[in-house]
Amino acid sequence: MSRIVFENVTYEYRTGESPAVEDIDCEIDSGSFIGIAGPSDAGKSTFCRLVPGYIPHYFDGALDGRTVVGGADIADASIGDLAGQVGMLFENPFDQLTGASTTVLEEVAFGLENLGLGREEIVDRSIESLRRVGIEELIDRNPQRLSGGQSQRVALASVLAMQPDVLVLDEPTSQLDPHGAEAVFDIVANMKSRGYTVIVVSQRLDRLAPHLDRLLVMDDGRIAHDGPPAEVLTEPGIEALVDVPEAVRVGTRLREEGYVDPDDPVALSVEAAISELRPHVETPAADGGTTRQTKPEPGVDESPIDFENVRFEYEGGVEALSGISLSMDAGCVCLVGQNGAGKTTFVKHLNGLLDPTGGAVRIEGTDTRDARVAQLAHHVGLAFQNPNDQLFHESVEAEIRYGPTNLGYDEDRIEEASERAIERLELDDVREDNPYDLGMPRRKLVAVASVLAMDTPIVVLDEPTGGQDAPGIELLGTAVEELVAAGTLVVIITHDVEFARRHADRVIALGAGEVLLDGTPREVFGRAETLAETDVDPPVITRIGARLGLSKTVLSIDGLFDRVD
Amino acid sequence: MTGSMNAERDVETLIEGADGSDTLFEYQPGSSLLHRLNPVTKLVCSVGLVLIVFLLPDFRGPLLLSIALFALVAAAGAARSVGTVLVAVGAPLALSLILIQGLFYPENESILVAIGVPVIDQLVFYVEGVEFALLILFRLTVLMIALLGTIITTHPKKMTIALMEKGVSNKIAYVFMAALQFIPQMQERAQSILVAQQARGLDTSATLRQRVRSYIALMSPLLIGTLIATETRALALESRGFTRSGERTYLLEVRDTGFGRALRWLTALAVFAVAGWVIA
Repeated sequence: MSRIVFENVTYEYRTGESPAVEDIDCEIDSGSFIGIAGPSDAGKSTFCRLVPGYIPHYFDGALDGRTVVGGADIADASIGDLAGQVGMLFENPFDQLTGASTTVLEEVAFGLENLGLGREEIVDRSIESLRRVGIEELIDRNPQRLSGGQSQRVALASVLAMQPDVLVLDEPTSQLDPHGAEAVFDIVANMKSRGYTVIVVSQRLDRLAPHLDRLLVMDDGRIAHDGPPAEVLTEPGIEALVDVPEAVRVGTRLREEGYVDPDDPVALSVEAAISELRPHVETPAADGGTTRQTKPEPGVDESPIDFENVRFEYEGGVEALSGISLSMDAGCVCLVGQNGAGKTTFVKHLNGLLDPTGGAVRIEGTDTRDARVAQLAHHVGLAFQNPNDQLFHESVEAEIRYGPTNLGYDEDRIEEASERAIERLELDDVREDNPYDLGMPRRKLVAVASVLAMDTPIVVLDEPTGGQDAPGIELLGTAVEELVAAGTLVVIITHDVEFARRHADRVIALGAGEVLLDGTPREVFGRAETLAETDVDPPVITRIGARLGLSKTVLSIDGLFDRVD
Repeated sequence: MTGSMNAERDVETLIEGADGSDTLFEYQPGSSLLHRLNPVTKLVCSVGLVLIVFLLPDFRGPLLLSIALFALVAAAGAARSVGTVLVAVGAPLALSLILIQGLFYPENESILVAIGVPVIDQLVFYVEGVEFALLILFRLTVLMIALLGTIITTHPKKMTIALMEKGVSNKIAYVFMAALQFIPQMQERAQSILVAQQARGLDTSATLRQRVRSYIALMSPLLIGTLIATETRALALESRGFTRSGERTYLLEVRDTGFGRALRWLTALAVFAVAGWVIA
């Protein structure tokens, strides 16, 4: 069995200015399930890379101390040899696939061919691994043409085929939509019962925490908190480092206000939080749907965004939008819905990247068919999901100035708009840095800043919180609120219902190319059944309220505790 | 052997019958003679034939070989893809070759045909020039049919296995496989980058100077992204024993028959024979 021991490990990348991890002293028991959380650049990935020996064998830098897996120093074995003991799943599944397989079977078998196993065993093991992650039916599919969630499971099957007994997963769901994340998460949660030692890095502790034996929270290269999740998540100062699950917040509040014995360990799961709350909540005769769907008001000509019976059909006849009529006037509008619901197609209509095949889109009065994308960019700034598609300058500052310069603003306005964007997303300390030297969360903020700097009356953000750490989400939330206060119309496409709950003035749920729901967050999140049609779960706190049978839809902990007595 | 997939055949059918990339050069499943030949045999014969036609001094040999090869490829069911490429590349090539060589080949002597044209009096096509044009044309035709025929009748996975079994390094084999997958991936990413930059006010339909600028804005993220992916991918490969020394096995068995070996020797022999005959 593979007990993992870190003995005073300090590591500094060759390109780094300070150690990525410092004085890591920690033991992980065989068969335990460990979560690692903390802000980006806290050293979580570096910690992970030590276990399968990527450090020191692949990355270049200075290592002090020892990492011992299963009694042997990782420095003495090669990455290929360690792969039979430790498997690691990367954040982005597309980078983990070999890129040289025409079928999923070849992909999973790749490592086994290198081990020189017999042909029958290769096939048997590959099929067994695919079965284990529940995707045996994908065996003859082209790995390049799978969804994110499917790819991540193929990548996991490829790792499992090597038969490791330790699994390290570095943010395995941050690039996936909730549906894909859920599928991957269910498998991971089962790994422990199969005898694996599992180490998972994740920002989203909601689903993870109830399964963990132990939670490590890293900050600035060190392990700042270490213990059972119920303890760690209630320690003072933890809020600044991780996104504390709603269930824990509810539990903490119940203890603070004396409803539950403060010595009882806090509940980690939503179920447990509900049973703690139930005795203290008066449940009126549950009449469920007291909220109604508001009809969108008919488009006024002055609306900055006006969709008039918009249809869009891709070549080949797939209808992505089937008759959408709505207008957006002000505030923060969040668009939710499953992949394939038409969100991205919708967004591409906002600046003329796509022209409707039926109906009309008007942006500040201009029909998008009459203007070029570059002209519409004066009205709409759009930040896409993947910052790597967008960034190409040598410094953050140059990157941010690129948009306003393209729009032909004078130097004063470029200066002012860029500086404001830098300040809003707290990028002052890295303005000279190359965006690609920053971690993914920070790089994503640069991409958002580079769009805010365009100083447009409409700002559209596609999945801004995906893969973001807790402080980053906070920062984005504040930026959105400031923009709205300054009169900017902000449209956000998101799977993150918690973000929508906190910041949206209006939520639109799209499903199968149509508007399913359109109203305030309270109205929309109160209709769980309709949301389920497009694979969206209401926020945790709203679900807790609904499960308790509260007549009014709850959107915040305060709102929930108004009903507690 | 497992329940759902036991026989070797099944794995082979599964891999060969899977969805491809829908390109013209894609593998087309089949069971013809060409399909069954060992990929290395096909490569050796292709190279041999190309050498032979470049040694032959007269266009009739390459012409006959072109016809014979096309018949073979057609029998393997690849006539359409190979034919499409031949017409698309061959037709403009034939036209320009015959025009230029027929009119201006330095050794032109015997008039083939003279066409009366106003202003410049007449255009004279010479026998020597036209024959030289045909020689080049059919040499290239043989080259195209042989290589395309090999690619279209060989599953890339089998090609790499056959190469590795003949001692080619697994790194080179990997590069071959990855390159095939690379182009459609790059196209997809180039498209999303284009969209992201247009959203930042990049005008792709403006002056030449702006177009050059937009080219930079498109190419840089593409290259940077590729480099990042490459680094992670190298690590992923490493973790799956890619650089491990020692024996490797392969998911598929690629058969090499006595017939195939004989064919390779025969090809080599033919190349030497033709070379000897031409020099003599």
